[in-house]
Amino acid sequence: MTQAPPPLQSTTYAFDEVLEVNEFYQGKGWTDGLPIVPPTAAQVAACLEAAHLAPGEVIGIERVRQRRLLAEKVAVNTVMAGCRPAYMPVVVAILRAMCQEPFNMHGSTASTGGSAQFIVVNGPIRTALGMNATHNVLANGNRANATIGRAVRLVLINLLGVIPGQLDRSTLGHPGKYTFCIAEDEEDSPWTPLAKLRGVPAGRSAITVLACEAPRQLMNEWTHDPEEILATFAADMRHNMLTYSVWSGNYAMVIPKQLRDLIAAAGWQKQDIQDFIFRHTRLFRREWATVGKRTIVDRSGGPQQEFRALREPADLLVVAAGGPAGGFGAIIPPWLGSKAQAVTHVIDEW
Amino acid sequence: MAICVLDPTSEEAVATSHRAARLSSLAGRTVGLLDNGKLRVHELLNHLETLLRTEHGVAEVLRFKKPDASRPMPPEVLAAMHACDAVISGVGD
Repeated sequence: MTQAPPPLQSTTYAFDEVLEVNEFYQGKGWTDGLPIVPPTAAQVAACLEAAHLAPGEVIGIERVRQRRLLAEKVAVNTVMAGCRPAYMPVVVAILRAMCQEPFNMHGSTASTGGSAQFIVVNGPIRTALGMNATHNVLANGNRANATIGRAVRLVLINLLGVIPGQLDRSTLGHPGKYTFCIAEDEEDSPWTPLAKLRGVPAGRSAITVLACEAPRQLMNEWTHDPEEILATFAADMRHNMLTYSVWSGNYAMVIPKQLRDLIAAAGWQKQDIQDFIFRHTRLFRREWATVGKRTIVDRSGGPQQEFRALREPADLLVVAAGGPAGGFGAIIPPWLGSKAQAVTHVIDEW
Repeated sequence: MAICVLDPTSEEAVATSHRAARLSSLAGRTVGLLDNGKLRVHELLNHLETLLRTEHGVAEVLRFKKPDASRPMPPEVLAAMHACDAVISGVGD
């Protein structure tokens, strides 16, 4: 005979209609603006069971304001986001990663710079959950991709008060703040998966999360030369350094199949890409004069002061994902250099 | 049939902090200024120090620094602030 699970502690509210639930939650400011799925006790319990968590278990603590993320409350928000219970272990792993010191959860979620969490899922759980790694990968269409990322946002809103105009001081924000979660296309890529490159044992599932600015799409369909292809990516990163932030840190680079096949055919691995990009994403302070920032050219180290996009080649998160056709790619810049760093975390029991 | 749903907010009692007793005057007092690591904050604090000394008769101004505006105060910096009668801290862009 199995023991009954511990009771849930949250305050409950009763309604006659589903639409009334949504109106109530919207009125309370408990959503991102989109409708929510009513978080019933049965659904919340199913999420906890899927992640083998007791309701009172502490998933993590936000370090600056010392706020605890309790499993029950994370499950409530996970249901509201539209997740299936099976997605819960992924949401938990993401939040555990975000509570690590290098991620700087408070700073990156409160900042005027307005960052989102770019999440990459690796390993067998991607296919078990039916996640998308191909067509339209950075956008809509897949339930797991969409709702896992959204669950993280709802946790920030409801458990940490990351509410626009309150703790969330974003000047603009960007659409990735609704949800920004993808799977890597491990099956159709000859390259080492991101999580494995970052130390996760082969065969394990893991997430990598980065506080990021909006993705920048680029295109180069006029060469088969990997150096020329990657020069376009590097130019985009330099442009981000000039127009947004010069500070070095983790950049993510998403390479869809068409360009990936060309780069791989030349014998390049992810490490070769990282080395090339590291060497070709430097600029001098004087270049700021070309983008309207002349007044800061003479500051600090002066016009010849050199900046790098990456502190080291491994700072570049190379991700194989995207639809099969089109010579496109994307750069996803960091929120503010290395003030918030990418964190990789294994998913329990996966 | 009624739909019963759960509250999504933390519902945890947050430890409350209390305001220290207000000083009736800054004259002759020691005041701390916290540099939070934001660019050019020293310019603001230099001006503030001048005002405190010339217009409020502050006896001593102690300057503190934390490495990063978005991370917690290092405990040793917090401990050193006990030498002050008052501390001015804030964040802004």
